Amino acid sequence: MESFVAQIVNGCALGGIYALFGIAFGMMFSTLGVLNAAMGSYASIAAIVGLFAADDLALPFSLALGIGVFYAAVIAVLVDQLAFQPLRRQGGGLISSLIASMGFWVILDGLAGYATRQPGLNFPVEIMPSFVIQFGQVQLPAMQIVSLGAIVLVTTGAYAVIARSRFGSAMRAVGYHPDTAAIAGVNVRRVAIYTALMSGGIAGLAGVLAGVTTGTFNAALGQGLMLKGMTAAVIGGYADVRLVAIAGILFGVVEVLCASYVPAGFRDGFAYVLLIGFLLLRHRSLLGGLRLGRT
Amino acid sequence: MQWLSDFWAAYGSLAGLAMVNAVFALACYATLSTGVLSFAPVAFGAVGGILAAQLVLHTTIPLALIVLCGGMAGLGFAMLLAPALLRVEGHWTALATVALVLVTRVVVRNVPALTGGDNGLTVTRPLSMAVPVVTLLCVMLGFRALHHSWYGIASRVVRDDPAVAAGLGINIRQTRLIGFGVSGFAGGLAGVLLVLVQQFVSPDSFYVHVAFVMITGAVIGGSFHWLGPVLGAIAVTLLPALTETLVPDSQDIGSGIALLLALVFLPRGLFDPRVVLLQLSLAQATRTRDPRYERR
Repeated sequence: MESFVAQIVNGCALGGIYALFGIAFGMMFSTLGVLNAAMGSYASIAAIVGLFAADDLALPFSLALGIGVFYAAVIAVLVDQLAFQPLRRQGGGLISSLIASMGFWVILDGLAGYATRQPGLNFPVEIMPSFVIQFGQVQLPAMQIVSLGAIVLVTTGAYAVIARSRFGSAMRAVGYHPDTAAIAGVNVRRVAIYTALMSGGIAGLAGVLAGVTTGTFNAALGQGLMLKGMTAAVIGGYADVRLVAIAGILFGVVEVLCASYVPAGFRDGFAYVLLIGFLLLRHRSLLGGLRLGRT
Repeated sequence: MQWLSDFWAAYGSLAGLAMVNAVFALACYATLSTGVLSFAPVAFGAVGGILAAQLVLHTTIPLALIVLCGGMAGLGFAMLLAPALLRVEGHWTALATVALVLVTRVVVRNVPALTGGDNGLTVTRPLSMAVPVVTLLCVMLGFRALHHSWYGIASRVVRDDPAVAAGLGINIRQTRLIGFGVSGFAGGLAGVLLVLVQQFVSPDSFYVHVAFVMITGAVIGGSFHWLGPVLGAIAVTLLPALTETLVPDSQDIGSGIALLLALVFLPRGLFDPRVVLLQLSLAQATRTRDPRYERR
């Protein structure tokens, strides 16, 4: 029984990371209409930069995390302004921005591979928070608490910004129709920059946490994270961060539970099959009942 | 003919790869020209290529027949998947096919009996240059014929504006199904050629990088005429070899930058003079504020 509860908690922490990524991906899509394939690279780069900060500069974990997140956010803004902004101005559709993001995916992954030049990277164990909280019979390692705390904080924060703040209504207006939003006095470019900043930062947070949690990682960390995060976003239905968070966590739990029954090689295939299945069988998401595309 | 065989010895594998990528890019163009972005040709190629590898290893049937079998296998797989993929709304098809590419790799890795698993299979069969050349030429002729057929005309309308196409009585779904069929056949052929040219098949043979080369070729070359993807794919194959001599270890980064520059500065690709002319006149008309061309 304890091990079952521990597995559930483990799944929640893992799913929390997927959910973070899903929120970042969904934010970019529902506000700017960009299916950003480069987002996995933001996560890889954040993990690598965080590792450099922790390893070479000997910074404490929280600072290394902050630097990784900052880096990812800056790169996200750069990518947005270099690739997506010119396409937005030309009135290019979803397909051209998707292809542009694939270009940046390859460039950034190439650069990340350049920077690391080794197959496996490890966060130094001694800088990581190492306390364990005893919950009755169940032990909660620090990293799981950090992941769970991150998803709760980010979901609450993102929900507050998008649904309650003035800036959030500008974001939703741009997502609904950029030209109309511009007529109504919204500075679309500013909204785009801040959205890219936020989603890049959240993706970076997911990347660093995934890097720490998985132990050994490499420049391809972001690829797997992206597909799972995207699956969470598709299941959760994009528009509402709370639903994406729930979907991501559920996905993590299911994955951890399935790991006991499915052969190791096919474990990753499970996520992809779930993604295809959701796209094929339902035109609307499971939790939201919303249409997948923007109106 | 001595220079030709010298050239083939030095650059044969690169030239072969360029032709393979050209066929892949045409397979991508086949669905793109009906307005559907799909990376499924990678999976079609895997089916064709692995079938070809098995046929080469276990039978002695002639190469031409093997190539054809691979194409037919790709076509069959495409017709199996197309109805499902076309159910998905527009741009989500692209994502579904990306996931399909990743599933393909998982399957290929875990069925070692057919695919050699992680270690891959070595496919030893001497290959003359004629096979890829003739196949590419046949595929190009096929696309040329399609371009001028009723299907070609219908696909251009469907791509430009599905609503108008429906109003004209064009069956959008049927047009896109044909696009997927063509894509499957070409993708299967490309997979066979890839296996024959590289003489090796492994899970990494049919993976994201093929999808990337395919789409880069189609976008850089221009996706509004069948000649565009061919030129683009050849350029994309030769570009890394060129940048490799200038900056070692930089191959993919160079293609990525080329793709971005092409998207921003040449949104319609290298090839399609008529569209370029049209764009120029459109830009002029917008500058002079002709009300007919105002965006609504």
